[in-house]
Amino acid sequence: MRRLGRRRLATPLVASIGVLTLLLIVAAGVGSVRIPAGDVLAAVGRGVWGSLAEVRIGPEAEATRVIDTIVWQIRLPRVALAALVGAALGLAGAGFQGVFRNPLADPYLLGAASGAGFAASLAIVSGGAFGLGLLGVPLAAFVGAAATVALVVALARRGWSLPIVPLVLAGVVVGSCLAAGTSFVLLAAREQAAGVLTWLLGSLAFASWARVGTLLPPVLVAGAVLITAARSLDVLQLGERAAAQLGLRVEWLKLTVVAAGTLATAAAVSVAGVIGFVGLVVPHAVRLALGPDHRRLVPVSAVWGAGFMVLADLVARTVIAPAELPVGVVTALVGAPFFLLLLRRRVAP
Amino acid sequence: MNPTRSIRPAALRRLFLLALACVGVAHAAWPVTVVDDLGRDVTLSAPPQRIVSLVPSHTETVCALGACERLVGRDTWSDFPAAVATLQDLGSAFAPDLEAIVALRPDLVLVDEYSGAAEALAPLGLVVYAGTPQRLDELFVTIDRLGRLLGAPTEAALLAGRLQGELDGVAAVVAGLVGPSVFYEVDPSPYSVGPASFIGTLIDMAGGRNVVPEGLGDFPLIDPEFVVAADPQVIVLADAPYGVDAAAVAARPGWGAIAAVREGRVVELSQEQSDVMSRAGPRVGEALLLLVGILHPGAF
Repeated sequence: MRRLGRRRLATPLVASIGVLTLLLIVAAGVGSVRIPAGDVLAAVGRGVWGSLAEVRIGPEAEATRVIDTIVWQIRLPRVALAALVGAALGLAGAGFQGVFRNPLADPYLLGAASGAGFAASLAIVSGGAFGLGLLGVPLAAFVGAAATVALVVALARRGWSLPIVPLVLAGVVVGSCLAAGTSFVLLAAREQAAGVLTWLLGSLAFASWARVGTLLPPVLVAGAVLITAARSLDVLQLGERAAAQLGLRVEWLKLTVVAAGTLATAAAVSVAGVIGFVGLVVPHAVRLALGPDHRRLVPVSAVWGAGFMVLADLVARTVIAPAELPVGVVTALVGAPFFLLLLRRRVAP
Repeated sequence: MNPTRSIRPAALRRLFLLALACVGVAHAAWPVTVVDDLGRDVTLSAPPQRIVSLVPSHTETVCALGACERLVGRDTWSDFPAAVATLQDLGSAFAPDLEAIVALRPDLVLVDEYSGAAEALAPLGLVVYAGTPQRLDELFVTIDRLGRLLGAPTEAALLAGRLQGELDGVAAVVAGLVGPSVFYEVDPSPYSVGPASFIGTLIDMAGGRNVVPEGLGDFPLIDPEFVVAADPQVIVLADAPYGVDAAAVAARPGWGAIAAVREGRVVELSQEQSDVMSRAGPRVGEALLLLVGILHPGAF
């Protein structure tokens, strides 16, 4: 019985990871510069075997170097970053919807997006942050997001308890206030407005391995915390009082899930800007397809979020090349109809 | 407004640029290093032969330096001179097509300093110059730097001298003319231009009186009420290509009473005129002449 249950949990996850792997391969093979699949694989091979750095001379070597640069320094980090951002938002969305027991909750509910947006726009307009130039923008965004949620939690707490309604209200109010601040910065600094807007709309255009590297640890930590908390989230769905009577440390659970979700969200926002819809819709889609069990919902949301972002970014960077659609526009444009379809099929007899 | 005020420093600048050119010719040794607007050292070991420009004003300047045929790619908005239309389109400066840029194997990429493109392109092993001139004096700094990077310091000094000559010539012609007060509308929000901005400086040189005061920045958002109170004699619509016209301005609450509206001096710029005015590039003389024609109709 126990083994059967575990398998039922694992099968969708394994299948999802399989599909995600396929998506990653396709996305790495497609771009605005047409490179034959064989050359892409060869470049991947050279990277894996460590022969990228070999000095080569002549026109053919030059062409190889161009392919290596495109595959290893532009496409692969971008695809990896898209997957990680999607995973982070999927995780955070599943966690927030679970802890708020509200289907409208998303990773930005407590003001992470507006906090990051305000801090990032200030950093861009002032020409950088933390003495790092524009490289300081991601750090500013991360600090802005985390500090905003911390402020919201501090405003809403009653002693050691964290009542949900004041928490959500504080999040909305602080978020509106910071969003107004961002609008003001945009109006006041017109020269840099285009740069700020591009950031706010969300973009993976300037992905790099360094960004992948900074995003990976927070996503792993948040994922581990949320997966560990999955069972408790299931219990919480009975209601806070009932869960407490069953021995669950409700306040501690709420705080850990909010903290882990915020860590993932802040990290994702800091490298990719504000990308909407993923954190809201992916956990719903998983719930509609596989049911409400958080032990399955949380990890599968991460994998589906990753796949969805990779797909959305693929559309964003190819459909009107050489121009690029903001990836946030694609997630909503592709995601909304897909979600409605899922909803209809689920509701229909 | 007082042309003698600007001529003397300008003449000095011309001498300085000539001297600089002589130094440049004497020491035309590679590698060449210039500092860009992000404070980065940009070093080239040989004259660049494959240049990508992601800024329309840089595209114009490179061509004015006689290096048009060395361009291999451009951003979507670079459309002057006409020859650049056939270059590969690499998207907008803020979300350029990185793959296509790398595939072009450029030896110099010119980008805007606020676009984030420098931070993305430099790690790919490309030489990137980041910086767009926002003011008139920055235009001359940029021409000098691009001239050195392109191995064309003499051309740069000649271009700078020619542009300064055009500006001085127009300034001398409008000297003594009493110009009207002007409101220059960048977009219908309405955004305008401050006195220290590129366009603001040109308005001053053309003998106009910008109604936007100092201290609001280069591209301030203006209260419509302020424009009504300032009662400009001329309104220039740089947003006309985006659907704003004189009738729409007259229909704004209270704007019907503005002198420019009453006297029919609301000027709609064409797309090309709007581009000439907004790009701090080698067509600056043309921009100034355009303004003089608008501000002093029938004076010549």
